[in-house]
Amino acid sequence: MQLEFSEDDERFRQAARDWLAANAPTDTPPYDGQPARDYALSWLAKCHAGGWSGIGWPREYGGQSLAPSKLILWYEEYVRARAPSVLDCTFVSVNHAGPTLIALGTDEQKTFHLPRILEGKSVWCQGFSEPGAGSDLASLSTTGRVEGDEIVVNGQKIWTSFADIADYQELLIRTDPEQKRHRGLSWVICDMESPGITVRPIRNMAGVTHFAEVFYDDVRIPLSNVVGGLHDGWRTAMTTLGFERKTAAMGVQLALSIRIEDLIARAEPTPGSAMAERLADLRAEGAALRAMTYRTIFREPANPSEGSLMRLYFAELAQRIAQASMDVLGPEALTDTALTHDYLEAYSETIAGGTAEIQRNIIAERILGLPRE
Amino acid sequence: MTCDLNLSEDQRQILDAAAAMLSQGHPVSRLRDSQDDTVTAIAEFGGFNLALPEDQGGTGFTLVEEALLHVLLGRHVVSVRALAAPIAARVAAGQGAADLASAFADGTETVCAAIPAAEGTLLIASEGCRYALLFGDRHLSILDLADTHTTVVEGLGHGSVTTRRLALGAGKTVAASNGGPLLEIADLLVSAQLLGIAEATLDLAVDYAQVRRQFGKPIGAFQAIKHQAADMAIQAEMLSTQLDMAAIAARDGRADAAFQIAALRRLAPRVALFNARTCIQIHGGIGFSAEADAHHYLKQAHVLSRLGAAAPLLDLAAALAPYQPA
Ligand SMILES: Cc1cc2nc3c(=O)[nH]c(=O)nc-3n(C[C@H](O)[C@H](O)[C@H](O)COP(=O)(O)OP(=O)(O)OC[C@H]3O[C@@H](n4cnc5c(N)ncnc54)[C@H](O)[C@@H]3O)c2cc1C
Repeated sequence: MQLEFSEDDERFRQAARDWLAANAPTDTPPYDGQPARDYALSWLAKCHAGGWSGIGWPREYGGQSLAPSKLILWYEEYVRARAPSVLDCTFVSVNHAGPTLIALGTDEQKTFHLPRILEGKSVWCQGFSEPGAGSDLASLSTTGRVEGDEIVVNGQKIWTSFADIADYQELLIRTDPEQKRHRGLSWVICDMESPGITVRPIRNMAGVTHFAEVFYDDVRIPLSNVVGGLHDGWRTAMTTLGFERKTAAMGVQLALSIRIEDLIARAEPTPGSAMAERLADLRAEGAALRAMTYRTIFREPANPSEGSLMRLYFAELAQRIAQASMDVLGPEALTDTALTHDYLEAYSETIAGGTAEIQRNIIAERILGLPRE
Repeated sequence: MTCDLNLSEDQRQILDAAAAMLSQGHPVSRLRDSQDDTVTAIAEFGGFNLALPEDQGGTGFTLVEEALLHVLLGRHVVSVRALAAPIAARVAAGQGAADLASAFADGTETVCAAIPAAEGTLLIASEGCRYALLFGDRHLSILDLADTHTTVVEGLGHGSVTTRRLALGAGKTVAASNGGPLLEIADLLVSAQLLGIAEATLDLAVDYAQVRRQFGKPIGAFQAIKHQAADMAIQAEMLSTQLDMAAIAARDGRADAAFQIAALRRLAPRVALFNARTCIQIHGGIGFSAEADAHHYLKQAHVLSRLGAAAPLLDLAAALAPYQPA
């Protein structure tokens, strides 16, 4: 067991630090709509121009092919510089759609989309959840009827983050009506400008228009937009889960450490007070989350579902930090916008991307081996 | 220079050997019949001088392997003597008491644990021990118990834990250590044992949830049980990653060692107690009985939690502290 960064790694860290200090914007990014899109794309374009985009992507697709040790150093420097949250409207393209295309896309799909993603020219969204298919994603019912060299899509998606400002969508639909659940689905690239698409933005409880309902009325998508094989969409959807966990998740997790430090600095708790104890607990938990992040990067997983342990620990820690920040603010919690925004947003941590209950089921069944439902 | 958190082949071998030794000599079921304080087998295994340099009689392993060994000791609810010995050996060595140090390290002299308390020092597992390692408030000292008078106290679970009380001021201090790396080592090993408790109670609870059937199925099929077990797994994983981080930092003398260990020591009691409690609950009635093993872990967690305390975490610089961009 070793944790020794090489001199080369340390040089990389310094270069990242210097570049971020000179270039990372530190103002609060706009939360939603066109301004959020413009802000995120211009930041990504700036990273790209500086040679810092696609750090985890293979070099042949315009990425940096960075080793895990450098990835972690990049994200540590990134959060220390308080660069914009990686969970902006470019998250799906850089961390999910891009890697999926790299793994399973056709040459044509890769040549067209990958450069646009890295250069900060396109925004993607993920259309998986439906009104009737949330935790039980495999029960989804939006259909795609194959007609010649097109798929005709009808149905509805919901909770699609950034659908109102996206150019493309990863769309998961049922293309084989004869098959049930995980079988007979297809993962297709949907151009959000296609005729027949209606997007109805939805405000979240933090007052932000973050996600949307998307309706499909005879939307025609070229068959060549299928990624990973017709009727084989479930496999495509699962392909990049590991990638997601190993890259951008790092940035999200490590950012919590900084949030805790900022909260301690703001609270200036009296030594020995209940608040000091609580903040010390959070600080210890933040340290453990960072240790877990290191383990995912530098140790062979004992079990493919291991990521759920950290995922859920992260989500609940984020909520504890947010709750503590409300108590640090005191009555001003009713007037502050930045910290209360984070506080309210934190409610989504145990819902989005698999609820806490679903994560617990996964841990119990797939890691601990308890009987399946 | 690399970053690799996998166990090396050497590490795997020594830990496998230790696990085999402990399953044979120290199954937790032994505690049903007697309060077992013997740690001779562990001394013979070389468990108390694992991290000493080879020219000082050690086996050439490091603090990392020693910490992982103590996780196994915790899993087996081994007497706190096995914790006191390697720490007392270091305290003695640090004070130039080389003979005493090697006697602790090779097990020829046994040492129990002592906890300061207002009514008089508490001695844990002190039967037949000449010395006690006192876990004071950010200091460690070795007490010579010769010619002292102690009284048996019936405490936690009517004497499930052998405890004696030593009058305040009794016992001669033969060596002491204030602050610094030795305290960090003590905190690391105590936390490692607490992690062992957390892991063992998780395993015990999961095993029981597979075999105990109610309403026609294993209780592990019920989400209420699954979710409690999942929470135990998260806690154990979290503490185990932090243990690796802290042990590596301490071994390598890294600048963040004190911070990592203080964080670890702060988390460890909560995690161990949470898992020990939940393990009892998952067992139902038998979990509450003295005939099952679940209660031993809980009591040991309470004892271990009292051996020293975490350094004040807010006084230390965070490992991932923000910097202010220019
Ligand atoms: C901020 C945010 C952003 C999102 N972004 C996207 C996006 O971009 N694209 C996308 O496709 N989706 C997105 N989602 C949707 C998200 O994936 C779903 O909300 C989530 O999977 C839960 O589905 P649901 O909302 O239908 O809840 P439900 O599945 O209806 O769950 C309701 C409650 O029942 C519990 N429950 C359900 N099944 C079980 C079970 N088997 N055992 C125990 N409890 C159970 C749940 O845990 C939950 O507490 C987003 C959600 C949020 C909050």
